[in-house]
Amino acid sequence: MKLKSYLKLFKISNIDFSKEIGISNVSLSRYISGERLPEKKILNKIFKLTGGLVDANDFFLSSSPSRDLSEIHKEEIKKMVLNIRKGKLKDLAKAITLVESSLKLHKAQADFLLSKLKQNKNSLRVGITGVPGVGKSTFIETFGMSLIDLGFKVAVLAIDPSSKRTGGSILGDKTRMMKLSVNKNAFIRPSPSQGNLGGVAKKTSESIRCLEEAGYNIIFIETMGVGQAETTVYDMVDIFLVLLLPSGGDELQGIKKGIIEMADVIIINKADGNLKNTAEITMLEYKNAQNMISNIREDISPEVFLCSSTESIGITKIWNFIKKFEKIRRDSGSFYKTRIQQQTKAIWRNIFLQSQDYIENNLKYKDSVKKIIKDVEKNNFDVNNASKIIFDSILKRNT
Amino acid sequence: MDRKKLYKGWEEQASKELRDKNLEDHLWETPEGIKVKPLYTEDDLQKISHEIGLPGLPPYTRGPRATMYTNRPWTIRQYAGFSTAEESNKFYKEGLKNGVMGLSVAFDLATHRGYDSDHPRVVADVGNAGVAIDSIEDMNLLFDGIPLDQMSVSMTMNGAVIPVLASFIASGEEQGCPREKLTGTIQNDILKEFMVRNTFIFPPKPSMRIVADIIEYTSKKMPKFNSISISGYHMQEAGANQVQELAYTLADGKEYIKSALERGLNIDEFAPRLSFFWSIGMNFFMEIAKMRAARYMWSQIVKEFKPKNDRSLALRTHCQTSGVSLMEQDAYNNIVRTTIEAMAAVMGGTQSLHTNSFDEALALPTKFSARIARNTQLIISEETGICNVIDPMAGSYYVESLTSSIVEESKKLISEIDEVGGMVKAIEMGIPKMRIEESSAKRQARVDSNEETIVGVNKYKPTEKQEINILSIDNEEVRKRQVSRLQKLKNSRDNKIVESFIEKIKNAASSNENLLEICIEASKNRCTVGEMTSAMESVFGRHNLSTKTISGVYKNTVKNDGKIDIIDNELSKFVNKKGRRPRMLVVKMGQDGHDRGAKLIATAFSDLGFDVDIGPLFQTPEEAAKQAIENDAHVIGVSTLAAGHKTLVPLLMESLKNNEASYIKVICGGVIPPDDYPFLYDLGVSKVFGPGTNIQEAAIEIINLL
Ligand code: B12
Ligand SMILES: Nc1nc2c(ncn2[C@@H]2O[C@H](COP(=O)(O)OP(=O)(O)O)[C@@H](O)[C@H]2O)c(=O)[nH]1
Ligand SMILES: [Mg+2]
Repeated sequence: MKLKSYLKLFKISNIDFSKEIGISNVSLSRYISGERLPEKKILNKIFKLTGGLVDANDFFLSSSPSRDLSEIHKEEIKKMVLNIRKGKLKDLAKAITLVESSLKLHKAQADFLLSKLKQNKNSLRVGITGVPGVGKSTFIETFGMSLIDLGFKVAVLAIDPSSKRTGGSILGDKTRMMKLSVNKNAFIRPSPSQGNLGGVAKKTSESIRCLEEAGYNIIFIETMGVGQAETTVYDMVDIFLVLLLPSGGDELQGIKKGIIEMADVIIINKADGNLKNTAEITMLEYKNAQNMISNIREDISPEVFLCSSTESIGITKIWNFIKKFEKIRRDSGSFYKTRIQQQTKAIWRNIFLQSQDYIENNLKYKDSVKKIIKDVEKNNFDVNNASKIIFDSILKRNT
Repeated sequence: MDRKKLYKGWEEQASKELRDKNLEDHLWETPEGIKVKPLYTEDDLQKISHEIGLPGLPPYTRGPRATMYTNRPWTIRQYAGFSTAEESNKFYKEGLKNGVMGLSVAFDLATHRGYDSDHPRVVADVGNAGVAIDSIEDMNLLFDGIPLDQMSVSMTMNGAVIPVLASFIASGEEQGCPREKLTGTIQNDILKEFMVRNTFIFPPKPSMRIVADIIEYTSKKMPKFNSISISGYHMQEAGANQVQELAYTLADGKEYIKSALERGLNIDEFAPRLSFFWSIGMNFFMEIAKMRAARYMWSQIVKEFKPKNDRSLALRTHCQTSGVSLMEQDAYNNIVRTTIEAMAAVMGGTQSLHTNSFDEALALPTKFSARIARNTQLIISEETGICNVIDPMAGSYYVESLTSSIVEESKKLISEIDEVGGMVKAIEMGIPKMRIEESSAKRQARVDSNEETIVGVNKYKPTEKQEINILSIDNEEVRKRQVSRLQKLKNSRDNKIVESFIEKIKNAASSNENLLEICIEASKNRCTVGEMTSAMESVFGRHNLSTKTISGVYKNTVKNDGKIDIIDNELSKFVNKKGRRPRMLVVKMGQDGHDRGAKLIATAFSDLGFDVDIGPLFQTPEEAAKQAIENDAHVIGVSTLAAGHKTLVPLLMESLKNNEASYIKVICGGVIPPDDYPFLYDLGVSKVFGPGTNIQEAAIEIINLL
């Protein structure tokens, strides 16, 4: 048990307790906050005094940030949340960094931060996908600017592919969202995917919450439209837009049929210049095939639109449809129901990711596990039994 | 003895000299992918596919004139312009007294991009990298005492070509020179702006219409004026290899011919007034071969349009020695490099030539460095006897073979462009830009891993620092002067008339009236360059370039000599400490369009494992700060080459401070005179990386900095 909880539970004041172990009150509060670790002698005294309820582990773990955060860090985060609400870009940006970080301390900070955020039911989360070059960023630029003119605050999370081999990445999306990126009412954050698409998606949904806290009410998530990321992104947005090029066939476009099936809005972009006619044909093709598109939403069917992001054609129609979509689903309650379902999915996704993390960074390095693997290699043990034993060892530890 | 036997004999002898090495290993694969043999013979001459011919006759491989330099040497034409019109005027007159034969005006970046000097976006650009021209008044000062009916004037202007050419023509007439007597060249090559030079203003379509307006107008009213200078120069400077430079330039040329023909012009009306512009780098024979291949290929290309006049087939060109081959380190070496390059341009048969100054990688030239650059040409022309023989390289086994190889390789690239539907389309798709950036990344990788030698930079480094006096321009002073002159102009002119011209320009832009014609009148009535541009802009819009980047090229080319391992190691330490990779935002602020370095840094650093954000061109410091904060970059990497750093970097630091974001580190790179380093460090800049920086070493320093 934590010393703090012990004192609270047994209603012992800090001053009394500090006198009993013979240290100053200040030192005691430092131990409690985790700022300092008690030395061995003191630890023994505390152990004895509390009848073994507070042991050395409770101090070490409390100073190990993965479990709990020091008061100082907590204060920092609280301030950060206040600043985010005030609209300070810097704090919002830092919050997203914490959420995305692989550092234990940052993860703990992010956990605490997220616990301080409110639920936002008024925002609209818009997923946008399509092959690289289809014009997603350009579409968001044009569409986003028109939304800002209508008084919205717009945020964009763009997930960029990292190069697998080196892990580094070039994030150039803002150059395609020139007006948006300099607008006071817009916030754009490209994030490297670092090869782990599922992982990024988790972070993305947490970033969305930070953005909502800062008052952004329309949030775009731009993904590449070629991988598994889409299904995960689909599970964190209220409406899903798929951008297509004016030309036939999904295979031709390098987009998976499954992705088209998830679309709430299909947008044939670049319907301008000499592609205009092709775009119209493409639109008809998709309109005709709509009965083939499975209807995931119970209350409204997907629609197909022509659009030119560069010439700002078709934007109003798309916005009108999105408004209609939102209204119908809010009125029927399905909007909120979906969000709740998404939360449940998110819980399992997080647990899955954490288990994966545990396996990769922990389990694989345990001596007992290494030994079992060696045995399998030497043919002393079969794969089936080996995996069973390892898995059981996890369960035992945790019950 | 027969030739085969003879050759066998040579092979045996050579193999003996090589001992354990193989003759085949002595093939040299050039950056263009051409395999050059150690020896060329008569046999190779049999295999060439181009026609050599005679000078002054189609296909003009040996030169556009029959007599070439034997009658008159090439024109020494030094590109120059700085700060105000008065200063530049003085500089031109000094040059003319000392052997310069034609003027070549360099405008500042504000003018290039169609902004008057009082525009808020150009505080750091006015008068810095060329002369500021806001109106006909400035033009009048620029050519004061220089009779335009006798002096040929070349103007490097592309984006704001209409208002600037208009002011020039109007100024000529105020001086008493009617437009039909004007001689010279306007660059007016917008396609390569979208590709590499970055001083475009309007989107591609209206920009191409402007090019056609100018070709049309000059072909009718200014018979002695070259309506366009189709430029490969900037491509090579941006990183293109010689084949790319040649192929893309000829493809551009084809596109211009097409758009002039669409205007209803006859090919012979304008083709003889098209001129070209090459960069001449250190690959001596390649450059000579390129120039000869260009003339041959152009004649073949134009032939397809069925001209009646042979002059339409002749390619005339200006050349400039390569700026990018010149280094900040051991700068006097640059005199030697420039000499070699100038020799290649002359052997290649150029019609005019600019030679760079040895302080090229530091700043605009001083009087002293400009003089040496000029003299380099005078020495070749007057001391060597080279001018006494026409096309001395013709018939060289090697040069003719190389010429043929270049023709073949270029054809391949041109047909790639033709396949996608011509250069406009290809540029929209970003094909040539991407290829050029690939070449640039490869070149840097080779230099960084010492596979290509640059004396004084990656080999034979100087042990002592050399002091070099450089030109420094007080940009704030120039801007103030320009702004007050603008004020005076606006107070003294008839603003009603100005407004009526603005309306006329808008109408012309939305119809198909010739824009140049109207703007000449507008200039006479004191409309400014900025006003005329924004009138057109209100119809055409301003073009934004979306930055595309390549990846993997640097890493695939570079040889790992241990530095890569160090970087990997440092990076994983960094990630363990900070929870993510180092994130760097590379920014270009102001109107400085030199993006080769920025692109290279972005692609190479991401290849090395950084997360790199790349900002758009022409950012303001406030915009750059906002982007860095939002992306939570660890460091902003400012790439600055056009002398805006002393204005822009302080503004950036201030903007970060105002947003409580001074935790973001700032580093600078590019052309920054060493004397300015202390100024930047005092501002809080963490590190400055000048020309010749080894990218891997820089990466290690930056990780340690963070
Ligand atoms: C190439 C070049 C061009 C090309 C640019 C092509 C392109 N897309 O970039 C072309 C031909 C188009 C061009 C045009 C002009 N140019 Co120019 N150009 C050069 C030149 C010769 C080389 C620059 C270069 O690209 N070098 C290669 C790259 C890889 O090197 P780099 O940028 O220095 O980067 C290295 C380091 O500096 C460092 N680094 C740079 N940035 C960063 C950032 C970070 C974060 C880090 C870590 C490191 C780093 O690392 C890099 C790798 O080593 C220089 C002179 C010179 N030798 O430097 C003149 C120069 C920059 N140009 C000059 C001028 C005046 C112009 C024009 C304005 C002329 C005019 N009036 O019309 C035009 C306009 C261009 C525009 N839109 O802005 C002047 C600027 C004068 C000044 N500073 O006072 C220079 C210095 C030449 C001169 N002495 O007159 N130019
Ligand atoms: N003609 C045309 N081009 C467009 C349109 N939308 C985007 N583009 C161009 O397509 C290219 C890729 O756009 P971008 O937004 O970066 O695509 P993304 O990779 O899907 O984000 C850019 O050159 C855009 O200018 C459009 O509606 N019409
Ligand atoms: Mg994009």
